[in-house]
Amino acid sequence: MPSPLPGRTSWARRCAGLMLVCTLPLSAAACRSVSEPSAAPERLSRNDAQVTLASHPVETTTKIHRVFGRLPDKRRKAVRQQVGAVVDRWWEAAYLGGTYPRSSFPDAFPGFTDGAEKLARADKALLTNQTLGPRIDSVTAQRRTVSLDILATGRRARSVTAHVKLRFATSGEKAGTTVVRGRLFLTYKRGAWRIFGYDVSKGARR
Amino acid sequence: MNAPHWVRRAARTAALASVLAVTALVVPQSTVQSTEVSLVKIRHAQGVAVGGEDVVWILAVGSDARPGQSMVRSRGDALQLVGINTRTGSATAIGVPRDSWVSIPGHGREKINSALYFAGPRGMAGAMRNLTGIEPDYVMVTRFPFFEDMVDDIGGITVTNPRRFYDPYLKKEGFARGRIHLNGYNAMAFSRIRKGLVGGDFDRSANQQRTLRGIHARIRSQADRPGFIERGVMTVMAHMDTNASPAELYELAQAVARVDPSKITTCVVRGRIGFVGAASVVFPDVAQARRLGREARSDAALRHC
Repeated sequence: MPSPLPGRTSWARRCAGLMLVCTLPLSAAACRSVSEPSAAPERLSRNDAQVTLASHPVETTTKIHRVFGRLPDKRRKAVRQQVGAVVDRWWEAAYLGGTYPRSSFPDAFPGFTDGAEKLARADKALLTNQTLGPRIDSVTAQRRTVSLDILATGRRARSVTAHVKLRFATSGEKAGTTVVRGRLFLTYKRGAWRIFGYDVSKGARR
Repeated sequence: MNAPHWVRRAARTAALASVLAVTALVVPQSTVQSTEVSLVKIRHAQGVAVGGEDVVWILAVGSDARPGQSMVRSRGDALQLVGINTRTGSATAIGVPRDSWVSIPGHGREKINSALYFAGPRGMAGAMRNLTGIEPDYVMVTRFPFFEDMVDDIGGITVTNPRRFYDPYLKKEGFARGRIHLNGYNAMAFSRIRKGLVGGDFDRSANQQRTLRGIHARIRSQADRPGFIERGVMTVMAHMDTNASPAELYELAQAVARVDPSKITTCVVRGRIGFVGAASVVFPDVAQARRLGREARSDAALRHC
């Protein structure tokens, strides 16, 4: 059998190398695109996270970002707990609590002032799960964080800006991830912290 | 040494096929991704409810108190009645010339700027109610140096100046026509100069409304910066006398931040110059002032000036 020419051998090798380089991502992608369960660590860890979420619901983390003015530590702690609870009650009533599917969210704004509740009802599509509700089976919180800016005078908290972020997964016809984030404005009225205003956005990935 | 033609052609074909394969790999992947993970539109909502009514009225007073004088017992030189509709996001300012000859509760007829001297912020609110028919919910009084500090604290403002003007004492080089940035001192001078203006006190009041628009624009653009509103409330508390509590100031600041610039309407009450004794005064067009009050009372929007 005649041996190939040296130049031809070099060219053939380069071509083979090029083919290999180009084909490697192909085969890697082929591995990623198969629909059957994979043994890849990434997939396993994702499943683990879901199991954890289901068995241990995510709790709200509330922290103080900054205090403007003087406020004793004891009162800082009280504000953190009280405002965190107000935000939690809204999230439970508007997105996380209750049974799905459902389309009615009659008491979605606990902790809102009367005026703010009136405004919020007009924004119910965004400030509750109303649009998704009829087409989902369950909601699972993935992240619940609240960060507070407190205005204090006379060693008392007078107002709070709560920077909030809620991420939850939905299952059912509209399965996906929804993120609600923004700011809530609170003042202390009639013996409790109440939300008098909001600046909130909501987005979802399906 | 060059490879034969057919080898080069085969190599090019192989390379092309590989590139196409990679392309084919990438494109379907992103196509699949777009159906599996699609970004649903992000929606946004905002609202602020202050007090029980949709509209809150604030009387903003610039006192001419000199150092050592009480600013709530001096003459009120800058007078703007500001309404904010928290439901619609509209706002209005009704300006009143300081020499307007009006009825001051308990003190007969006087120039409106003396209402502060005779009867304090409450008396000034009463005089404004007699003229416009609107009783302000809050009265906020500041003096010029404090006003300068507040404007500096928010980083200055930008106003649209309709004509060039100057003042030999307050601003020798004058203010250029067009959009101009003002620091605290210049905002004070812009709002205070009267002699260089053709319309005198009426034009000055209109300039004060341009300053208010500039302050609003600045607050609106910075409101979502963490701590901006809180710091603003702190500086207002340090530099103003007001019947609003810190919590109410915070609520008002959030309401101001939500005002839509395209829904701001302003007007200065007209009048004719005259004399009472030897004093030069403005006889305000009370019918117009009442009409403005009626128009704006329920929704903080003026249809006509």
